[in-house]
Amino acid sequence: MSAAVLARPAEPGTGTVFLRAAGAEWVRLRTVRTTWACLLAATVVIVGLGAIAAADEAEGTATAANPIVSTFAGEYGVLLGQFGLLVLALLAVTQEYASGSIGPTLQWTPRRGVLLAARVAVPTVVATVTGVLLALTADVVALLIDPELTLPLEDAVAGLARIAAVLVAGSLLAVGVGLLLRSTAAGLATVFLLQLVLPFLMQSFGVGWLNDVALWLPGTGAVRTLLGEPDSMSLGGALALQAGWSAAALAAGGWRLLRRDAG
Amino acid sequence: MIEVRGLTKQYGAVRAVDDLTFEVQPGKVTGFLGPNGAGKSTTMRMVLGLDRPSAGSALVAGRPFARLAEPLRTAGALLDAQAVHPGRSGRDHLRVAARANGIPLRRVDEVVDQVGLGPASRRRVKGYSLGMRQRLGIATALLGDPAVLLFDEPMNGLDLDGVRWIRRLVRQLADEGRTVLLSSHLMSEMEQTADHLVIIGRGRLIADASMAEVMRGESARRQVQVRTPFPDELTGALLRRQLRVHPTDVGDLLVEGASPETVGDVALEVGVAVHRLAEVHNSLEQIYLDLTGDSVQYRVAAEPVPAGQVQR
Repeated sequence: MSAAVLARPAEPGTGTVFLRAAGAEWVRLRTVRTTWACLLAATVVIVGLGAIAAADEAEGTATAANPIVSTFAGEYGVLLGQFGLLVLALLAVTQEYASGSIGPTLQWTPRRGVLLAARVAVPTVVATVTGVLLALTADVVALLIDPELTLPLEDAVAGLARIAAVLVAGSLLAVGVGLLLRSTAAGLATVFLLQLVLPFLMQSFGVGWLNDVALWLPGTGAVRTLLGEPDSMSLGGALALQAGWSAAALAAGGWRLLRRDAG
Repeated sequence: MIEVRGLTKQYGAVRAVDDLTFEVQPGKVTGFLGPNGAGKSTTMRMVLGLDRPSAGSALVAGRPFARLAEPLRTAGALLDAQAVHPGRSGRDHLRVAARANGIPLRRVDEVVDQVGLGPASRRRVKGYSLGMRQRLGIATALLGDPAVLLFDEPMNGLDLDGVRWIRRLVRQLADEGRTVLLSSHLMSEMEQTADHLVIIGRGRLIADASMAEVMRGESARRQVQVRTPFPDELTGALLRRQLRVHPTDVGDLLVEGASPETVGDVALEVGVAVHRLAEVHNSLEQIYLDLTGDSVQYRVAAEPVPAGQVQR
């Protein structure tokens, strides 16, 4: 063995390569304006809707003797405001295919399993942490608007945990769909339909079998987790439904990234 | 070094790359030549692990590129200068690459200076000209100070200054001992840049030879153009000497495999006036067109040109 071979520094391990890939994903996210536009939209909707809900409640039933917990503010906010965060997660993936920059990305991180892990983890963490903080903000703002509301610690934690579950599942679904379809337009349409439009639309006709099908959509699980409706579905069932959709989307999207040409 | 072995890519019924085998040696600029659609880009994408070969393999510095932990320290590439997120600044684009490969940020400033991007690196790529994007792509390729470099049509769309800059750069990179693979569909670009040529057509290897060998192959096919008021007499005399003669569009004669001295002597012997006598320097461009034209297989089979490792 020659001296040159001995002197060559050891190649970093998979853990280091993953941390670098995740760092690169983070720099990617924060160096484009669309990320900040999505976060701004999510902030306005989550905190704004929460405040409106609280103002509405201020004229309502809560009294000092019979207080209402303010977590509904964050939950209504996230019900709609999650889409700013899901769009962020989706665009983190599909913008690369639109611009062709998936080519350079895979030249810099050619181990696709590592890239997949980083590409799934970073937008999901960003969307979830941001969403939970915004929901907490909405809950606190609601307290300021209507002093009759309360926010006990354990209710706050439970509410935020459910919000976190919805956002993790939704982000994973968005990333998986993005990796599978590789198109911003197709990805947006799919995520919006599954998560928001179809669950509400199919239940709006009052037709039995449409209602039954809607019960299998991820958006129905998200609404159940956030608002407790429909009560025919258990919380565990709702979480399992969302987890199933996320897993399916990730499996399909991951297969396309790992097994197919870069695109 | 880049080693390509039996590399094949099948898209449905179309075989874009067909059992390609060649090596790219360090210390030289290797020109990767072929008409548009010959399979150059697909080959480079397979070398870099972007597209999966249907068969065969490629090694970069002795390893499959897709297994490298710090790929930019081994090989840098510019495949498509447009493939950059338009909303990110050039500098941020480089920072992402540096981050993914554990390269210190000061290298970003160094390569920005090296390619002459300067303050423009802080602007968003959306506003870059094609030349600026090419420079950004080359800066990215150089970021990890790699021993292997691949450039796909780097001169495409550049002005003369840009083309000269790239020529000087690839020369310098090869002189530093690096492996440089440079693709183009224009022979004229290669004539002034490459030391070695790998020529492909329809996904198949046509020639793998040094520039000198290709030139020698050309000289073996030397032609003389002669103008005379009595072409029939001169043609007859030349044919008697076993020389091949073709009339040209302008009424001159083209004599293959002869020197001007021979043709002049023959004309003197038969007493025919000669108004013009010139050696025709077949450009590499012409040889390349002959090699990659429709009759590729026939010509390669019929004439041992270029003199290097010609494959059918």
